[in-house]
Amino acid sequence: MINFEEELKKFHPSLEVEDAEEAIYNQDLTDMADLMVKIVKESESKKTGVE
Amino acid sequence: MICYQCGCNLSEHDFCTSCGADVALYKKIIYISNRFYNEGLERANVRDLTGAIISLRQSLKFNKNNVEARNLLGLVYFETGEVVAALSEWVISKNLRPKKNIADDYIDMIQTNQNRLDIINQTIKKYNQALTYCNQDSLDLAVIQLKKVLSLNPRFIRAHQLLALLYINNEEWEKAKRELMKCIEIDTNNIATLRYLKEVDEMLLPEEGGKNPPKKRHKSDEVIKYQSGNETIIQPVNVKEGKGVTSLLNLGIGIIIGVAIAVFLILPARVQMARASIDEDLRRVSEQSDAKSATIDEQLLQINELTEENDNLQKDLQAYLGTDGTLKSVDSLMKAANAYLTEPEEVTVVADYLEEIERQSEEEETSNSEAFENLYNTLLALLGPSIAEAYYNDGYEAYRQENYEDAIPNLEKAFKYDATNGEALYNLANAYYRVGEEDKARTVYLQIIELFPGTEKASKSEAFLEEMGGED
Repeated sequence: MINFEEELKKFHPSLEVEDAEEAIYNQDLTDMADLMVKIVKESESKKTGVE
Repeated sequence: MICYQCGCNLSEHDFCTSCGADVALYKKIIYISNRFYNEGLERANVRDLTGAIISLRQSLKFNKNNVEARNLLGLVYFETGEVVAALSEWVISKNLRPKKNIADDYIDMIQTNQNRLDIINQTIKKYNQALTYCNQDSLDLAVIQLKKVLSLNPRFIRAHQLLALLYINNEEWEKAKRELMKCIEIDTNNIATLRYLKEVDEMLLPEEGGKNPPKKRHKSDEVIKYQSGNETIIQPVNVKEGKGVTSLLNLGIGIIIGVAIAVFLILPARVQMARASIDEDLRRVSEQSDAKSATIDEQLLQINELTEENDNLQKDLQAYLGTDGTLKSVDSLMKAANAYLTEPEEVTVVADYLEEIERQSEEEETSNSEAFENLYNTLLALLGPSIAEAYYNDGYEAYRQENYEDAIPNLEKAFKYDATNGEALYNLANAYYRVGEEDKARTVYLQIIELFPGTEKASKSEAFLEEMGGED
């Protein structure tokens, strides 16, 4: 049985057109490739520091 | 594919041929991103938009620079009515690849048409307002608002779902199902849609998949067994012997039920119909009676009006008759004039016509025209002495012959047409005296004394008056 109140909580207000710019700026665009590059760079810097 | 470190194009090797960086893991990440993109594309092709969004988001998690995946994600968002989300993806895509990017066309499509942009904005605002109404328990207002939203943007899945949820809350299952079916047409595999639809279907068909109907008892199992000697007799219950009686019994019950239905159901209905028919007839007759009464009243009114008009016409007729009388007088005057012109010596004929005119004028009491009066007076002036003479001669002749009955009117007329004829007046007085009408005789004698004083006739009249006075 569907609980109306619970289901209603799943609906959120839509972003209006004026808010689109802010939403774009706030979007986290970090991807797996970024993480990998970061990890690789960190590991390389560690190696350099050890040597 | 380019190297994440130096930006050079990568070869099939697991290292960059330019900077020597290890790109094996990087390549795998890119491949995974592409695989998710392909999956998303396939799902979008079969209208599994929810699945497509998940796959494309995964693709972008692995490679944010996957412009195709981002553009497709924007398109899928746009299809589900999430226009702002779509615009966001396309703008980011355009920033990542400023040239030769289809996102440009998509953005232009929306931004160049101001009207369309306004509608999009209105739709979102109304949807948010509807959501606010829901949270404020103004569910009726929310339904109205959502209907407006869907009239502006029929592909807005979240609005359809919210409306369906409201219908479910109101237990309007059919309407909820209609909304959910529209969602399914747009996005075939939306989890929320499917969940709501399942609930609605269960409510619409609550017994489906439920308990099995109770099995019928096999009549053939119902038998009567009894022992006859050494044999066991098995007799089924549905034997033919009882069929006739049962049939008659059923027939009787059927007839009773039929009669009961007729008495309790059909008859009251018929009675009701008959009463309704009678009421209808009564109403119609009453209406007709009212109409006739109204007609009678109207006709009575007309009769009164006609009577009044008739009276008026009678009055007019009287006036007309008066006019006719006038015409008769004129006719008589014309005859008199004609008689005078044709036979001037026959003055008595003219005199008859003139007397007739006088009589008619006295009877009708009408006023004649000036021309009429002039002609009449002229004729009277021309013929008066001649007429007087003629009447006097006749009257005097009759007087001499002692025919006083004829003498009196002729002498009266003679004096009438000639007031200077004292002889006529004297003989008239004598004629009255002779026939014994002494009052009239006395009056005429007095008239002679008054009109002709100092004459022989006056002295004779005085003598007669003395004589009459002496007799008294």
